[in-house]
Amino acid sequence: MTATPTIAFDAARCDGCGDCMNACASAKSTDGKLAQARIHIIRDAESGRWGVAQCRQCGDPRCASVCPAAALEKGDDGIVAWDAGRCVNCLICTAGCTFGGIAFSAKEGYVVKCDQCAGAPQCVAACTRGALRYVTTAKLYNRWGELEDLFVPGLGGCQGCNTELIMRHTLRRVGSNTVLATPPGCIPGMGSVGYNGMLGCKVPVFHPLLTNTASMLTGIRRQYKRKGRNVTALALAGDGGAGDVGFQSLSGAAERGEQILFVCVDNEGYMNTGAQRSGSTTYGAWTATTPVGEGARGKTQDAKNLPLLMMWHGCEYVATASTAFMEDFYAKLEAALDASERGFAYLHLYSPCTSGWRFPSASNIEVARKAVETNFAVLWEYRREHGLKLSRDIDDPAPVTDYLKLLGKFRHLDAAQIAHIEQHVAEQAQVMRELAAMRPGDGLFDRSPSNFLNAAG
Amino acid sequence: MNEVVEKVAPLAEPAGKGMAQGTDKAVVKKEPTILVCDGNEAAAWGIVLSRPDMVAVYPITPQSSLAEYVAQFVADGVLDAELVEAEGEHSVLSVLHGAALAGARTYTASCGQGLAFMFEPYFRTPNLRLPIVMSIVNRDGITPQCVWGGQQDAMTVREVGWVQLFCETVQEVLDTIVMAYRIAEDRSVMLPVNVNHDGNYLSNGIVRIELPDQAEVDDFLGTPDVNWHAALDPDRPMGVDPLTGGATGPGPALFVGYRRGHCEGMQNALRVIVEVHEEWARRFGRRYAPLVEEYRLDGAEYALVTIGSMAGAAKDAVDAARERGDRVGLIRIKTLRPFPVDAMVAALDKLRAVGVVDRAVSYGWNSGPVHQETLAALQYCSKRIPCLSLIGGLAGADLTQAHFERAIAATARLLDSPCPRAPVWLNAEDR
Repeated sequence: MTATPTIAFDAARCDGCGDCMNACASAKSTDGKLAQARIHIIRDAESGRWGVAQCRQCGDPRCASVCPAAALEKGDDGIVAWDAGRCVNCLICTAGCTFGGIAFSAKEGYVVKCDQCAGAPQCVAACTRGALRYVTTAKLYNRWGELEDLFVPGLGGCQGCNTELIMRHTLRRVGSNTVLATPPGCIPGMGSVGYNGMLGCKVPVFHPLLTNTASMLTGIRRQYKRKGRNVTALALAGDGGAGDVGFQSLSGAAERGEQILFVCVDNEGYMNTGAQRSGSTTYGAWTATTPVGEGARGKTQDAKNLPLLMMWHGCEYVATASTAFMEDFYAKLEAALDASERGFAYLHLYSPCTSGWRFPSASNIEVARKAVETNFAVLWEYRREHGLKLSRDIDDPAPVTDYLKLLGKFRHLDAAQIAHIEQHVAEQAQVMRELAAMRPGDGLFDRSPSNFLNAAG
Repeated sequence: MNEVVEKVAPLAEPAGKGMAQGTDKAVVKKEPTILVCDGNEAAAWGIVLSRPDMVAVYPITPQSSLAEYVAQFVADGVLDAELVEAEGEHSVLSVLHGAALAGARTYTASCGQGLAFMFEPYFRTPNLRLPIVMSIVNRDGITPQCVWGGQQDAMTVREVGWVQLFCETVQEVLDTIVMAYRIAEDRSVMLPVNVNHDGNYLSNGIVRIELPDQAEVDDFLGTPDVNWHAALDPDRPMGVDPLTGGATGPGPALFVGYRRGHCEGMQNALRVIVEVHEEWARRFGRRYAPLVEEYRLDGAEYALVTIGSMAGAAKDAVDAARERGDRVGLIRIKTLRPFPVDAMVAALDKLRAVGVVDRAVSYGWNSGPVHQETLAALQYCSKRIPCLSLIGGLAGADLTQAHFERAIAATARLLDSPCPRAPVWLNAEDR
């Protein structure tokens, strides 16, 4: 589906003049009376601010889903269209819509709603204060809205955690013909398998062992292939289960080219068990097992670069993504899902941990964005046939300290530690630049990682 | 005329001639196909006949040739199965977990350190009630370094909840593997089964065996239905293995229910193992004692208790002793888990003394594991029966007729002398 136009409302600019309602009534009603307008500006008694009641052209319109006569339908143009020939005037749609976007008109004798005036909405044209704008929506929001939510409402994790966001959107896109593995850690902590005897997902889901996620999915995927069924084998795993104790099974499945979509949600530590160090914990970070005291100042080693290690397996697809860049994440999810039909697809998501990294729960997306903007986390994509591509420019990063200062886990860093991190981030960016400049034909896999990294450094 | 296939170089010609799928079924049925092969190849033929959907393998001495035979059978189209060459035993069993939850009949084989490395998913297999069949080509445990036979591997994991069957002969290895699927997949059991065959003695000992007819085996096994109880299937979405017990959630009763159900499945297996062995005897003409074999116990005053392949030499020793007039017999345990208490007590009650020969040790009891099992059963006997521990055959050490004659003599002494607490180390003087 392409991007679709919509009418956006900015309450801060609205003074309640009512020009929009007049314009709509004139355009859409024979008597031109305000009551016949398809848009209504209403003042909130408490806040004093103006709000709008108008059809939102929802991605998954409730008016249409409750209509017993199939008289309402969301079209490819994004408009929820009403069909007079089918409508039986039951008015259930008016109860289904929670936005006041469709209402009965005594004058017309049937329900009326906004149709965006065939691409030239009169309400927008009449608004002189810029409170109404006719804009094109980002296509992903339309798409996601139409996909079934396969995850339980609410959040079983810590406040402000973005893992629920990752799970919900991943499941929406991957769909219900899926078997989901959620190895022990924060992911099942979100409620996938359920802690109350109830299930948190609408897809078959299980706890593998922390160590064997990719192996169990191997057996599942292969058995269904054998039986002629194309079932998606999906893992949502933490960095410890993926890259430390479970790395053998991950590596084995990748080397064998098993058709698995493996999503690693990297919160840089064993956060579910209380924020202990993992191989993905970065240099200098405080964790429960790399504490800060008289003789210690956090982790003394750099993190291993798990997504690069996966790339060197020659996977079908490997990418890094961030919830601060959802369009990019979604495009990569799409590519990874497609690649998992042919071989091993690995998607590495940077997932800031409000509790374990010590930052306010409202800052999660900001932290995720800063990690990328400072090159602390580099977003890239590898396809076997094309090699590695950077997903965004990394040549003009913000200072790493912009990122470090957001996080309590780095509060103790001294100048030497910060210098170490700055140098590591710069070296990592240089390695990624060199890799991105190479193509499979350049002998990407003829050179061992260590040789390559030495050459790059 | 039946065809006799001599298979001295089986990997060069794994499909064989005149296999059970051969041309004239009626003839083959009356005159079974004969193979000359070792226990690992016999096990692989048992797998061919059982038609698993998925086999996962990782090599380890002395199991390796078994994995190779199965791989070659798949490569040659003799066996239509998915073969997963996993990167270690831990993954081998994990792959089969996934496959079984997706409905596959599955197989693997391992031993010794491989079993130790596999322990994490191994421990979980019976709790998930997955009817996986796995050969253990029994091997002693390191350290000291050793690659030879011994039963320390299987004995060490006997409390984990798998059904454990121990074979005496190469033919019994093949037959028991096929029977194991019937036992494992029985709806009242739904437990994984280990078919144990001793490393070196059975894995590499070449003998003549008979290959059952494929159509007969198909009829005997039926169509697998292994995930009716727990499935990972988008057509039947469910959560497998949620968190139980604890302060929150559904409470301890759920966990207790799972454990108790597992225990009941184990007890049901006692009945099913007997029924399956009976049916095997009717269909294929080979009768094995399903739980406990009583050998020459009529008129015996005392007996040896054995397990696995050692029973062959031990029976020779018993025969020789009976000819001399010694009133000795033998008990061979085929089923160690579930432990066949009633069958064992019935056999022991005929005796006044027993000597238990183990190919493993029970640390801390200063005896062997089967000795410990026998002691536990003895409390249900009608009288007190002295029970001596003898340990031999560690790390591939030979247990010859001479060793068993010493074991018989040591057991005979219990009839008029106190039973020593310390074990008799049968190979302690062997150089």
